[in-house]
Amino acid sequence: MSSKCKEIENVLSAYLENELSPAESDRITRHLAACPPCRKLKEKMEEILLRMADLQEDVPFFLKNRLFNIPEISEKKHAAKIVYFPKWLAASIGTVVLFLNLFYFTNIFPSVNRELHSVVGSVETFVVRTGGWFEKIKESKNLILFTFFNKKTTESKEGKLNSDFNLNKELSKGGRNG
Amino acid sequence: MLINDYSKAVYNIALNFFADKDIAADVTQDIFLKIYHNLDKFKEDKNFTAWLFTISRNYCIDYWRKNKKHFLSNQELDEKISGHDQTPEDHSIRESEIVELRRKIAQLEPELRVILILRDIQDLSYQEIASKFSIPEGTVKSRINRARLKLAQSFVRGDQ
Repeated sequence: MSSKCKEIENVLSAYLENELSPAESDRITRHLAACPPCRKLKEKMEEILLRMADLQEDVPFFLKNRLFNIPEISEKKHAAKIVYFPKWLAASIGTVVLFLNLFYFTNIFPSVNRELHSVVGSVETFVVRTGGWFEKIKESKNLILFTFFNKKTTESKEGKLNSDFNLNKELSKGGRNG
Repeated sequence: MLINDYSKAVYNIALNFFADKDIAADVTQDIFLKIYHNLDKFKEDKNFTAWLFTISRNYCIDYWRKNKKHFLSNQELDEKISGHDQTPEDHSIRESEIVELRRKIAQLEPELRVILILRDIQDLSYQEIASKFSIPEGTVKSRINRARLKLAQSFVRGDQ
């Protein structure tokens, strides 16, 4: 292959698309007439360019269906993201709990240990106090319930006694008549 | 709508890039999934088709690189089959020519392939391709010429 052939190869597309100057175009035409390999290459390239348009195809029906379903798939993925629990949050909570335990049960940092114990102590006091309040509320609740319950039971007892008394009365009447 | 307007262009890029209809369908679906997931990242002042073509090009090249071994072994197998068993009765002449041309395109370097598809199959101008991929127009022209030349040379070699 001559250097001229190499030069022709570099501008063959431009030559076919009429992008060269008339002088350059003439020079190439002359070379192509004289050089069979270059001519064959040019003819092949023309043939390929003509056939390229046939490579366009319509989108198959099944693919269109698949594509139209994509928004639903992506929406589902977004919905799944909402319930996602952040791992970094769980990890940081775990780390804090671990260190609190470590400082509470060991005496690596006495000041922190003391502080933690005082905090836990005040929490315990609070729990005991609130526990006492709860007991009181519970008792008073029982009292109220007991009052209502008692009232009901006394009422029912009185009713039963009255009905027994009436029954006895009627029986004694019937005995006298019979 | 997005799919009606662009699915043909994306599908044809994939089809002529891989020369395989099943892979083209999968790749087109993946590209549209990617587009839907990244729609919020797209800035409205930018050219949408340029963004879409860039995603398509990058996805095709990535997919090809990831499965390079598989594609290369398939191409070798296809060449053996086409050399021995294919007869004119099997396909119409036009159909077999298309298959052959696609196979030759699929053997080009990925960068050349995409640009050639956009220019000669999708009929985009040099300027459009240059602006879509942010490369100089001269580079596009030289790549197109290189791609066409390689294609023509492979056909000439096949004829001999």
